[in-house]
Amino acid sequence: MINNHPNTQLLTDYATGGLSMAPLISITTHLQFCDQCREAVSGLNILGGELLADCDEAELSDDLLAQTLAMLDAPMAPSAGVEVANEAPKSSLCPDLANQLPKYLHKFLNHQELEWRSLSSTLSVAAISVGEADYELALHRIDAGGKAPVHDHKGTELTVVLKGSFSDEDGIYREGDFLMREPGDIHRPSATQDQACICLSVLSAPIKLTGIKQVLNPFMRFNPS
Amino acid sequence: MNKPSGPDWNALLVKVGSHQDKAAFGALFSHFGPLLKGFLLKGGGVEPEQAEELVQETMIKVWRKAPSYAPTQAAASTWMYTIARNTRIDWLRKHAKKNHQTDELVAEDLFDENEESSPFTALIQTRNASNIKEHLNSLPQEQLQVLTLMYFQGKSGQEVADELAIPLGTVKSRVRLALQKLKLKLSPEGEEQVVYAS
Repeated sequence: MINNHPNTQLLTDYATGGLSMAPLISITTHLQFCDQCREAVSGLNILGGELLADCDEAELSDDLLAQTLAMLDAPMAPSAGVEVANEAPKSSLCPDLANQLPKYLHKFLNHQELEWRSLSSTLSVAAISVGEADYELALHRIDAGGKAPVHDHKGTELTVVLKGSFSDEDGIYREGDFLMREPGDIHRPSATQDQACICLSVLSAPIKLTGIKQVLNPFMRFNPS
Repeated sequence: MNKPSGPDWNALLVKVGSHQDKAAFGALFSHFGPLLKGFLLKGGGVEPEQAEELVQETMIKVWRKAPSYAPTQAAASTWMYTIARNTRIDWLRKHAKKNHQTDELVAEDLFDENEESSPFTALIQTRNASNIKEHLNSLPQEQLQVLTLMYFQGKSGQEVADELAIPLGTVKSRVRLALQKLKLKLSPEGEEQVVYAS
């Protein structure tokens, strides 16, 4: 049972195409787990369809249809989507993860080599590049029973639990749960004892540690893509 | 549209998918093409020629993806909308030229493949669509404005708030009220995620 979801505004931003790549990926990842949010998005897409159907028409150039018909028979350049979706995950890539993450994530994880960096004895991070300057997208792994450093948020942080679960002062979060942290939220996530916790996270700005171990600030360790 | 008296766009789309039927494609093009162009121009930020380029790209994708179209899961207009939205996202990214590193990633990869099909069957889809048709025109102007700005321009609530110079909270509540009037399902999260403030 998923207890934490993106709010209505985020789902609407998603459906209108208003999110940039990294937040978009986090919402789609949540949707892989969550029928309720998929139902909401489905309704929002129907609204898009109705707005389209209800729109004032703008006349097209006379030859646009003929031109388009002529292009239909051109040899199909396989779109990246089709090509990548059919590829099996490369074995060299996130070897222990490949079979644990939603299939959807393979599509873009396959584009790059994941480099896990150890940030403490129990926390590692792997940055994912989606070619965006404003956001950092990454996978975080907290080992079973491990704790992440206490940290504050300078910007918004979106997190989706992919595997395992973690808890903090406010509750426990399980696979598929979606969390949004705003500036000023301070927390210290720790994984449950039985298994490692893997999360997808999106950061809109580097976050700072509130304790003294500045050097451990995990999010200073990789460069914005 | 999908008025009982008009052509059955869903059925035409199925024909395109199952028989590569160019006549059916032509009919869809003649109907949805001008609507798509109107939709894109309303959003602004594109010239008429660019809008036609986008219409063309969208319709070519419609042709190629039609075999995967399932009328039980989405009306033609909904399906067209998602393809047009994704096409515009890719087009805008290409033209922004911010970064070439992941050009092989396209919006289609990043959205949920099954987003237009909720697990709750065609019945709910149909009910949603008729609720929207029934109530869309009776929405208060300020709510309709926020929704149409978001959809036509492909913008987030924050961007619309900036554009209208109103607080994000106002945009959020207008969106929520509008969706409630249209009887659309909201996020199970409720209005605010204040639970996480510590």
